[in-house]
Amino acid sequence: MKVEGFLFAGVAIFFAGIDIVYWYTSHDPTGTTALALAVALGFLVGFYLFITGRRTGMRPEDRPNADISEAAGEFGFFSPHSWWPLFTAGAVAIVAVGVVFAWWLAIIGLMCVVITALGFVLEYYRGVHQS
Amino acid sequence: MAIMASVATATTLGKNRAHGSLTRPSIVSVGTVVWLSSELMFFAALFAIYFTIRSVNTTWPMPVSAKLHDAVKLDVPFDGAITIILVLSSVTCQLGVIAAEERRLRRSGPIFDITRWGLREWFILTLIMGAIFVGGQCLEYSKYVSDYQAGENGMTISSSPYGSIFFLATGFHALHVTGGLFAFVFLLLRLSKGRFTPEKITSTIVVSYYWHFVDVVWIGLFSTIFLIQ
Repeated sequence: MKVEGFLFAGVAIFFAGIDIVYWYTSHDPTGTTALALAVALGFLVGFYLFITGRRTGMRPEDRPNADISEAAGEFGFFSPHSWWPLFTAGAVAIVAVGVVFAWWLAIIGLMCVVITALGFVLEYYRGVHQS
Repeated sequence: MAIMASVATATTLGKNRAHGSLTRPSIVSVGTVVWLSSELMFFAALFAIYFTIRSVNTTWPMPVSAKLHDAVKLDVPFDGAITIILVLSSVTCQLGVIAAEERRLRRSGPIFDITRWGLREWFILTLIMGAIFVGGQCLEYSKYVSDYQAGENGMTISSSPYGSIFFLATGFHALHVTGGLFAFVFLLLRLSKGRFTPEKITSTIVVSYYWHFVDVVWIGLFSTIFLIQ
């Protein structure tokens, strides 16, 4: 995971340098703030990848002499198909429309978001898909 | 066909899904951290608005409105108190994660013996503390708005640029905290169903990442808006 970590650490170092130059040449608080938090962005992901890499050790893709078959196995759980994201997105759209036009509609939309998100989260814990 | 057979599906993965193998980081955790880094840039925009408004106003804290020439008085002690509650809720959240990693889902002793609390007790306490924080913010908002309507030094979202960024920044953060509260409720519901599988530990860790993130962002917002002013 070192390579990925260095990539994001590089992003953080780059923006840190740019941020200092930017502040001394422009004295613009807006861009300086954005760049400072871009440093935090790179640092957050890079730091996480370094820590995780230290814990998990070398993966097959980190070793030049690894075989392709070593990387085989589970990658994670990917939902085969689900209707819930569609309804969740629709409910969020209702909230957005409600914020623009009428607050009562946004409240109804928020209830829809909670219900659809519950369906989304608990889909594989009940009914025919239960495992 | 050989390739198709090796693609893992919901039925073949069984109990170990979403946790990843021992030599590979969990894709759920990595994805969450990448998403949180993008959330950071969302808050970067709010911080940038605040510093921009601050830099173009010679008098700061700026007057609340044209008719009121005094700046709004922020209730720093009250906000400091709810900030401490939010920071402590991060500690209780982490204690819950430690309990989860030791596979202690429920408490193994009486309810007042916190040394033997499990994940569920710690997360319910975290949920309550987060709710106190959001409730405190709502109280504060209503005080500012009612003060403004009474002709005192309050503010609304449309009373001044300062009011706008104050309510936008703290309000978007409060929405994030509320989202985190829903995440805790959803997680507790999932924990109540079926066995305590590794994927539930992953979800627990990921929710705790989000909670710590929201906590750190609030420390930044609190020190900017309330302490440095």
